Amino acid sequence: MKLLSKLTLFITLSKLLIVVLFVLLLPSLVGYVSFQYSNYYLQQQKQKVLSEIKHNGIDYYLQGDSAYASYTMLKEEYISILPAENNRVRDTIETSKRVVGEDTLTYRILTHELTGTHKNYILEIGKTTSTIGEYNNLLQRFTLYVLIGLIALSIVVDLIYTNILIRPLTKIVKTKLLNRKFPFKEPLSPIKTSTTDFQILDLSLIDLMEKIHEAFDKEREFTSNASHELMTPISILQSNVENLMMEEDISDEMQDKISAMMRTLNRLKKIVNSLLYISRIENDQFVKSDTVNVHELITEMMEELSDRLETKSIQFTNAVSKNVKIEHVNHDLFFQMLYNLVNNAIRYNKESGSINISDKHLPDNTYQLMIKDTGIGIKEEELATIFDRFKKSGKEKGEGFGLGLSIVKSITSFHGFTIEVSSEYGKGTVFTITVPAYLPV
Amino acid sequence: MKTLIIEDERSLAREIKLFLEKAFYLCDTAYNAVEAKMLMIDNEYDFILLDLGLPDKDGLELLNETKKMCPGASYIILTARGDLEDRIKGLDLGADDYLPKPFSLLELQSRMQAISRRKSGNNDSVMQLGDFSIDLNKRSVCFEEKEIELSRKEFDLLSYMILHKNRPLTRLQLSEHIWGNFSDDDYDSNFIDVHIKNIRKKMSAHAPVDWLQTLRGIGYKIKI
Repeated sequence: MKLLSKLTLFITLSKLLIVVLFVLLLPSLVGYVSFQYSNYYLQQQKQKVLSEIKHNGIDYYLQGDSAYASYTMLKEEYISILPAENNRVRDTIETSKRVVGEDTLTYRILTHELTGTHKNYILEIGKTTSTIGEYNNLLQRFTLYVLIGLIALSIVVDLIYTNILIRPLTKIVKTKLLNRKFPFKEPLSPIKTSTTDFQILDLSLIDLMEKIHEAFDKEREFTSNASHELMTPISILQSNVENLMMEEDISDEMQDKISAMMRTLNRLKKIVNSLLYISRIENDQFVKSDTVNVHELITEMMEELSDRLETKSIQFTNAVSKNVKIEHVNHDLFFQMLYNLVNNAIRYNKESGSINISDKHLPDNTYQLMIKDTGIGIKEEELATIFDRFKKSGKEKGEGFGLGLSIVKSITSFHGFTIEVSSEYGKGTVFTITVPAYLPV
Repeated sequence: MKTLIIEDERSLAREIKLFLEKAFYLCDTAYNAVEAKMLMIDNEYDFILLDLGLPDKDGLELLNETKKMCPGASYIILTARGDLEDRIKGLDLGADDYLPKPFSLLELQSRMQAISRRKSGNNDSVMQLGDFSIDLNKRSVCFEEKEIELSRKEFDLLSYMILHKNRPLTRLQLSEHIWGNFSDDDYDSNFIDVHIKNIRKKMSAHAPVDWLQTLRGIGYKIKI
């Protein structure tokens, strides 16, 4: 899952959790608040009543009666002053029932003992609990709406901000990591961001890729220069040996030695030539402007190799569709690639074996070429390294140089193809070249 | 045939001269562009072998300048640079052939001969080999007016050996000529044996081919 999706999910879920928690807690919270508030309200009322009594004197209210009571029309509130009994009452606030008029109602009641001139009185101030509850519901509903509104707003703000925050990272992933092809030839520019973590990540990536590219360039340049420098001395040596060989009256033994020298020299020459060839491919010194007809190219190649096939009695099948054309390739390199693969297929084949080249179009418009042989196969542990330079799979008296397949590999990368190999030891090998639907020009 | 070798590596120039003189070419050597120009003013050459990496001037530039001075000469570019662009430029500027270093002297001579043949028309393209006559231009081998069918590679091999007759030729030299620089050493050398066997079989059906000698452990030789 992408980081942005994860964050979005987390933000939304955590906010929802808060809403749920709040909704669960709200009744008891509101209940507590209104309870506290009604206590406070009763205290306030008591202060007012006491100051009124102090001002007017208690008799003003009693008017000769032994008790006083007053309530509002709807009986939400009442005040009563009753003579106190002997035992003294302390100030309390409690919930209890009272009969007011003809109704019995539940009140929140504050009780206070008044000290009169002759005797003591008890002052009661009451407020019906149902009025308290009404506020309660309204308050709850209102709070909930405001909360939901705020949460929704905060989710939107969070998501937008997260999106903006993460954008540089998405960009880094897109431009630096996805679709990047070794050896990272195109120059990279740093991404604009004020987040230092991303800056560090971005710069480190650029730095790393540049280092890889530089190392690759150096290696390539070295190979190219070294090969060039080697060409001249090899050329001189070869001419020397060839002239030596033509000398009259040299003994057979000498002739043998010269011939052996020539073979060694040729080996050296071939290595240098192959390395130079690879470095030229990697240096983009070939132009990809040809269009090849694969079927025709293979037929052309078979003519070149027909005598080898005959010598080993190998059955060759060109099952490639006749009208497939590949654009934006280099004809010579494409030929060399197939030539090397088929030459290997002949070389490592059995007497009277077979080689089959077939193709197929995949649903995503890519095109595959399969070169299949019935040869000696490749051991599983060697499959991973067969395209590497100078790695040779132990067979054939140590004379091979393993550069044929390296050349094939360079040619495929140069064109943007991929090559895969599968093999069953002792039974045969299949090389699969995949040509993407659109080739880079 | 008069040949000018323009090559700054003295020992290589010397070896080329030695080799070509044995094949009856008259050779002069120049180690830089200035010397080469001086020689070209005084002499007429049939062949100019031109190294591109000269110390005082780029070989391609020299080619451009001297093409007018020696219009009759055939140019062969020799180079270790091996850039494809150089090759195309060189041929565009009027060079007749291009040999990347390291090259075989046998190959050089073979290219020179091919150029001569191309320029002289059909005149000297028929050779006698024992009782056989071989036409290098028509690429045919005949015994008493009857054509013997040789494959393309077999004919290439035979004509290369005829060109270098009386010289021992290793399997390697032969396979390099047939398959180029990517020839595969021992593996390809074995195919040379197969080809030679076929040539012998096809030709000996008509007349003895004792002029085609096997040099044990080395290669082959045509002895006339």
